[in-house]
Amino acid sequence: MDRRTLDRLASIVGEAGIVADRMRRLAYESDGLTLEREMPELVLLPRDTDETARCMRVLHEAGIPVVPRGAGTGLSGGATPVPGGVTIGTARMRDVLEVNASDRYAIVQAGVVNIAISRACAKHGLFYAPDPSSQKACTIGGNVAENAGGPHCFRYGSTTRHVLGLVIVTAEGEVLDLSHPVADPDGYDLIGLFTGSEGMFGLATEITIQLTPMPAATQTLLAIFPSLDAACESVTDIIAARLEPSAIEILDKLTIQAVEASVFAAGYPTDAEAVLLLDIEGGELEVETTVKGIEPILARHGRLELRSARDAEERERLWAGRKGAFGAMGRIAPDLYVADVVVPRTRLREIVRLATDECTKRGLKMSNVFHAGDGNLHPNISYDRRDPDEVERVLAAGRAIMQACVDVGGSLTGEHGVGLEKQEQMKLLFSPADLAAMDLARVALDPDRRMNPGKMLPLRACMETRTRPIPGGMRAEEARP
Amino acid sequence: MTMDSETLVDYARSLDCIHCGLCLDTCPTYQLTGRESSSPRGRIHLMRAVAEDRIEANADFAEEMDFCLVCRHCESVCPAGVEFGAMMEFTRDALATRARPGPLARLARWLGFRVVLPSRRWLRLTVTLLGLAQRTGALRIAAPLLGLRGRMLASFPRVPSRAERTPLPASTPAQGPARESAAVLEGCVMPELYGRVNRATVRSLAAAGVESRCAPDHVCCGALHAHNGDLAGARTLARGTIAAFDALVDDSGAPLPIVVNSAGCGAHMKEYGRLLADDPEWRERAAAFGARTRDFAEFLAEPERRERLTAALREAADSAPTRPTTYDDPCHLCHGQGIRSEPRALLDCIPGVELLELEDAESCCGSAGIYSLLRPQDSQDVLDSKLAALRASGAEVLVTANPGCQLQWESGIRRAAMDVEVVHLAEVVARAIDGSGD
Repeated sequence: MDRRTLDRLASIVGEAGIVADRMRRLAYESDGLTLEREMPELVLLPRDTDETARCMRVLHEAGIPVVPRGAGTGLSGGATPVPGGVTIGTARMRDVLEVNASDRYAIVQAGVVNIAISRACAKHGLFYAPDPSSQKACTIGGNVAENAGGPHCFRYGSTTRHVLGLVIVTAEGEVLDLSHPVADPDGYDLIGLFTGSEGMFGLATEITIQLTPMPAATQTLLAIFPSLDAACESVTDIIAARLEPSAIEILDKLTIQAVEASVFAAGYPTDAEAVLLLDIEGGELEVETTVKGIEPILARHGRLELRSARDAEERERLWAGRKGAFGAMGRIAPDLYVADVVVPRTRLREIVRLATDECTKRGLKMSNVFHAGDGNLHPNISYDRRDPDEVERVLAAGRAIMQACVDVGGSLTGEHGVGLEKQEQMKLLFSPADLAAMDLARVALDPDRRMNPGKMLPLRACMETRTRPIPGGMRAEEARP
Repeated sequence: MTMDSETLVDYARSLDCIHCGLCLDTCPTYQLTGRESSSPRGRIHLMRAVAEDRIEANADFAEEMDFCLVCRHCESVCPAGVEFGAMMEFTRDALATRARPGPLARLARWLGFRVVLPSRRWLRLTVTLLGLAQRTGALRIAAPLLGLRGRMLASFPRVPSRAERTPLPASTPAQGPARESAAVLEGCVMPELYGRVNRATVRSLAAAGVESRCAPDHVCCGALHAHNGDLAGARTLARGTIAAFDALVDDSGAPLPIVVNSAGCGAHMKEYGRLLADDPEWRERAAAFGARTRDFAEFLAEPERRERLTAALREAADSAPTRPTTYDDPCHLCHGQGIRSEPRALLDCIPGVELLELEDAESCCGSAGIYSLLRPQDSQDVLDSKLAALRASGAEVLVTANPGCQLQWESGIRRAAMDVEVVHLAEVVARAIDGSGD
């Protein structure tokens, strides 16, 4: 980067907002997907919309690609830097700007941590519903970019259903104010379009989100099963019976063992083949009726034991175990590949078996934890990135699992986004014409394709030549479709 | 991996990190800067990169390692069980050995770690000089010359009078029939600055039917050495500590449990087994020593002792309501030792104490051993949000369980011109027994 651009950026964000030395930049080389690594040219940490917009204008003039980054907890490489690109992090935009309890919304800066929103409005009996497992660290801005989900999204819906308004800084440094404290604004739903755009349509700096009233009653059930199949079948039956828990999660034996060895030990029995974790929420009567409906179904499928959390503390512990599952796999191997496929619920068992086979035959260790209610599976494959052969086998297994899910009418990602990881597999789902249409939407907002380039849309998707951004260069050229 | 990088990083431990990022939000330096390289995950990533020869351990690297408070909050939320504190001790030790600091810094380190801390006489002299500087006003005059560090020193609590700075007797009998005996760690700085806390400790133990014994010639456990890159010094002091306390035995010849009222020391002493793991002669003794080390609150909160203490409190107290009180978890108690409910349970035993919860009580106050002296600005920045939480709590008494935190809070509260008394948990218990509370 030339001196003048660097100086202009530094004068906008100040010394504390710039990470320029090689050693510190290295810490930004990946997000939660450690397979993909790239050194950012520079990291900027602006404090607000204004600073962000001014930085983006300078970068626009210099033609430098931009990668937005929240907490870097994403699992699909959405925040992996691009060669010659600048990473803009939201870690210093952490203010809750407004909590309006009577109109049930909050306006927060993009770098506010997911759980912090719920903390800020708890005294009003409200909470922010989408609860990714990384909610104690991930930012709302990242949640918007990936349209993040979470266990309780079975009932409440994923991020997109909770975003009322956005302030977006475009690739050209223009501030697009789409703040609405009310649902469904007039005109095209740009907010819906932006949510889940993986940082390729611009950078959201302020987010107006809907708050949800805390349920009057919650009951958390933990059912222990002698087989993964039995757990899956009972989920299918619960849903077929039109019973609606707010969260339905399954953990398999290896996951249980890793969690139980960690600080998040929740008291799951380590000899169980699978546990089913359910939250039932609503009015007192509703909860009671739903639980009464669920109990015989679990019994019919041979649950060995059924526990009910006695108090909020126990409930918290049961859920903390589930949410620490990804990290807990660090006890098995240094790296973890988290697949994020979705299948129709009735095909859950079949896909779980297939995923197990694909890993077994490649000599890989796989564990399963999934949002069973949504048919969203996370086959987790443990590996060590220092072993290139193992990495190849992991990627091959991942591809086989994704192919199988697409074959049964499922999709590639439930909540983690496409990013770098599932980019090539987009071709399994979409025709070149589809992909070109997606690119059109992007170009409408980012004509130079400088925002998070090289993510989501497969390279050469439209059979056009596309050069990778030049390492160390100033410009990322991508051919127009 | 080169020899050099191998000696700088505890590589095996660094592989436990799976890069999930759950630690980020707990980290005080990440909170301050928003910089990944100043977070636990970022620091581990950099350590691993050094070990794998992808980057050089340059001055920027050393700076990020120094910036860490080693509060170990990250360990409390790490699902993979990364032993961050141990990794940091390893790297700091290697950096201190490798990077040759200037002669002045070397002299200061040598004086502090090898001369003053392990010697009762030197400690006493140092604190006496400080007290003299306070009383004569010399400190006030000299403070501006020393910049921020000077202002920190100027807001230092008053050094107690000579009469208060006396060591504990070799034995303090139990009140009523003695049920058991325990060895009490007096500590290095404690007798000089917080003799009253040591006296309150043995007073509380006595009320619970415990006879307290002291190791007369023991001074320092070496925790500060380990945290600040002097593992060799820490190991020497650990051996001395084990020898001194192994000599304290009950009637049957079994070594006594060791009660520690300083969270930082307790956390370190419990880990002697790890510190001396490579020393075949001491390994087992060290592990056994660690296993019988107890924090003050942990020891007294055990059911039988708690019952005896409650009975003594009921007899003594007039159960007059106390001022609104809050408890701040010392990092090396909650994160280092996993002790959270025990201090609160003890406070619950005291009639009239109404406990207010302090927001983010488990986050670091910025004391972090000698961090407040080494990096005064960062230390104060970390404390700022804690002071805001204290203000919001409405408490007039703040209870802690570690001398470093006590010092940090007292200085900070004085600088912020707030009216909050800082006391050690043992002081609250002892006051309730003797009715000299408020």
